[in-house]
Amino acid sequence: MSDTLPNWLPRALAVLVALTLLAPVFGWAAGAVGYAEPLENAAEATGATGSVEAVEIALMPDYGVAGLGAAPGTFVSAVVGTALTLVVAGAIGRLLGTDPDAD
Amino acid sequence: MSDMHIPDGYIDIGLAVLFGALSVAILSLAARRVGRTVPESRAPLLGVVAAGIFAAQMLDWPIPGGTSAHFVGGAFAAILLGPHLGSLCVATVVTIQALVFGDGGLLVLGANVFNMAIVEVYVGYGLYRLLAPYGEYRAAFAAGWLGITAGALTAGLQLGLSSAFEYQLLTTLSIMGIGHLVLGLIEGAITAVVYRFLAEARPDLRPTADAEVSLS
Repeated sequence: MSDTLPNWLPRALAVLVALTLLAPVFGWAAGAVGYAEPLENAAEATGATGSVEAVEIALMPDYGVAGLGAAPGTFVSAVVGTALTLVVAGAIGRLLGTDPDAD
Repeated sequence: MSDMHIPDGYIDIGLAVLFGALSVAILSLAARRVGRTVPESRAPLLGVVAAGIFAAQMLDWPIPGGTSAHFVGGAFAAILLGPHLGSLCVATVVTIQALVFGDGGLLVLGANVFNMAIVEVYVGYGLYRLLAPYGEYRAAFAAGWLGITAGALTAGLQLGLSSAFEYQLLTTLSIMGIGHLVLGLIEGAITAVVYRFLAEARPDLRPTADAEVSLS
């Protein structure tokens, strides 16, 4: 596979690293605003807020890590999630059946 | 950081099953349509775009007035990868967000996939194809803007037909629709800017360079 790796891949991976580094900064800034999103507004308007059931099996709920502060937890979550998505989606791309003659 | 990710408990189980079945059926068709048309050297693009969307979704942009927005990326994925591969790409992101981070419920995973990975992706792509003759980047803007609004309206429909929301369909549709019609302007802008940057920096990654992007 290595002989077919595109030359844009290193730069794309650098962008991903930059995005993960920015995640804690944006997380802090958004939290500082004390925001509410349309889904939350709709739930509040109809009295549905008490119906939420958390996903118990989530390993890193709410993009945090137990024992870590908010910023480090967000950073670790960003790294883990980005890397995991890269691996899983990349594997799906290959499993779907690539055509070596399609280039 | 939930944005359009519906948690468990918000949607009635019957609706969750219905949209779960619809999502599985449509994604299966998408996978079949992609078939063996992905050039081997471009397979990593799926992984990179999906990872980029995941990372970008973690960047919550605070907006004065008490709200926030983040890039969802459905239309962007559709334009760059084509609608079928784009839907599989976003579905992967949404599934990992639910399973690992609890962002969006498990019982309603199919509904979330339907809203973000199917409606947003296919509506966005359809708009892009429709408007591209009048300006590629303006078309990308409209795709991002109205694609996410369409996904939000579908979410509003699901919520408004559920008992937790007391079947207040008009309320959920208006709050989700109007809210995302405004926030979607940012989605459209980011979609157009990122796509323009990518298209100019790496024209070989443009959709016209990929056999999958056609609607065939």
